[in-house]
Amino acid sequence: MLAAFEWHIFWERIFHPDHVFAQALWRTIYIAVLAQFFGVVFGLVSALMRRSTFLPLRILGGLYVLIVRGTPVIVQIFFIYFGANLFLGFDLFPRTVDLGLFSLSGAVVAGIVALSINEGAYMSEIIRAGIESVDRGQMEAARSLGMPPRLGMRRIVLPQAARVIVPPLGNEFNNMLKTTSLLAFIGVYELFLDADVHYSSTFKPSEYFAAVAFWYLVLTIVWSVIQAWIEGRLAASERGDRLSFLERVREAWAPVPGRLWSRAR
Amino acid sequence: MTGSPIVSAEGVVKRFGLLEVLKGVSLDVQPGETVCIIGPSGSGKTTFIRCINHLEKIDGGRIEVNGHLIGYREKNGKLVEDSEVNIARQRVEIGMVFQRFNLFPHMTALENVIEAPLRVRKLSKELAVKEGEALLDRVGLADKRDVYPGKLSGGQQQRVAIARALAMKPALMLFDEPTSALDPETIGEVLEVMKELVAVGMTMIVVTHEMGFAREAADRVVMMDEGLVIEEGTPEHFFTRPDHERTQQFLSKIL
Repeated sequence: MLAAFEWHIFWERIFHPDHVFAQALWRTIYIAVLAQFFGVVFGLVSALMRRSTFLPLRILGGLYVLIVRGTPVIVQIFFIYFGANLFLGFDLFPRTVDLGLFSLSGAVVAGIVALSINEGAYMSEIIRAGIESVDRGQMEAARSLGMPPRLGMRRIVLPQAARVIVPPLGNEFNNMLKTTSLLAFIGVYELFLDADVHYSSTFKPSEYFAAVAFWYLVLTIVWSVIQAWIEGRLAASERGDRLSFLERVREAWAPVPGRLWSRAR
Repeated sequence: MTGSPIVSAEGVVKRFGLLEVLKGVSLDVQPGETVCIIGPSGSGKTTFIRCINHLEKIDGGRIEVNGHLIGYREKNGKLVEDSEVNIARQRVEIGMVFQRFNLFPHMTALENVIEAPLRVRKLSKELAVKEGEALLDRVGLADKRDVYPGKLSGGQQQRVAIARALAMKPALMLFDEPTSALDPETIGEVLEVMKELVAVGMTMIVVTHEMGFAREAADRVVMMDEGLVIEEGTPEHFFTRPDHERTQQFLSKIL
């Protein structure tokens, strides 16, 4: 006979989550944000490497994308967390990592590193497509004005590529919020592991996993609202077309519409 | 004319794959001279002026601007391509205006004009803005300083592009079919600005189909066909009694 669904457990997980749960929720959020941030950085670096005139850099950037996109993220997480120990004989990530102001568990750091590397490969493709969407004449105009390639990329091409990059980037972050659950397998105490721990001690999978599914849904819904808002502002500024990428993001996050945080003119 | 030329191109060869688009083009341009390059499409005239500021690599010959070899360094008697950073430095003295304007769409007219002076010439913001406003005024667009390119007509965009190129204080201006993408009614305003540059003695190379402009403003007209300069001379010579049969055919078709 099927066990009856114990609603009180479910409601309690939603309306009265405990302190441990709150920490797990927060851990999920900051891991996703940090991994996404570094993923964008890695993606930008590798997208630029793949456009380099220097062949070894192009090959390296291409291999990174090929290998990372070609292997499962869970394998990458295990490889990064346990791999150094197996191959090099020492732990790349100690039990706790002291970052000066605070310390993080080694598993959290390894998780952020693994997810960043994974995300970087996908962002690389998105950023490459964004850069390629900018008319070639833009870089030519920059060059004809005596701007070196790097300056032209930073000031002319990337701000225009940003409008193509932002919507899929939002999608990637939605994915990232959920992919953090895989870090449970290296012992990062985040939302999914919290549910798993409760399940193991109570043998009530439906209640705890339904509740955790609800919380992931909350996270992604909140994000989708923020994403829509950012894209709305992006479209609005596109009509006037007056903001750089950073300004756009700052603008989208400004508490009051207007020019509150943007550069004084 | 005497003295050292601003532009000295010798036997420039350019290939795209197997197709040889420039088969040894030579051209000297003296300071203050306006040279119009005409010719049928596919004759290599656009490619040639793009070689002058090294937007295209060349496969043979050499190009000097103001006595500096463009795009290459001489190493043991051979030419090796220079670094992009060095080439960028050389481009400062060569302004270019494109057929499709290529204004930066995420910047206002003024921001377009001051971007390179600020970041490449390292001017102070006040000075760059002052110069930029003067240039916009000169092309008749002082009132459009805070307008984005998307809100400007083609002729206005091209005039901003001219101001943007002038902001680097170039010794030479290249125009790549500057009016070919314009509505007929806005061609005139761009040509007016160009004529004013001719009047103040700017050295200019203009690839154009505007025979009226060539006749009126050019010191010299150069006819290119199939990757070669086939005839050059004063506008008067050109438009009254061209020597070459190909030139006669071309002119009879478009005049």
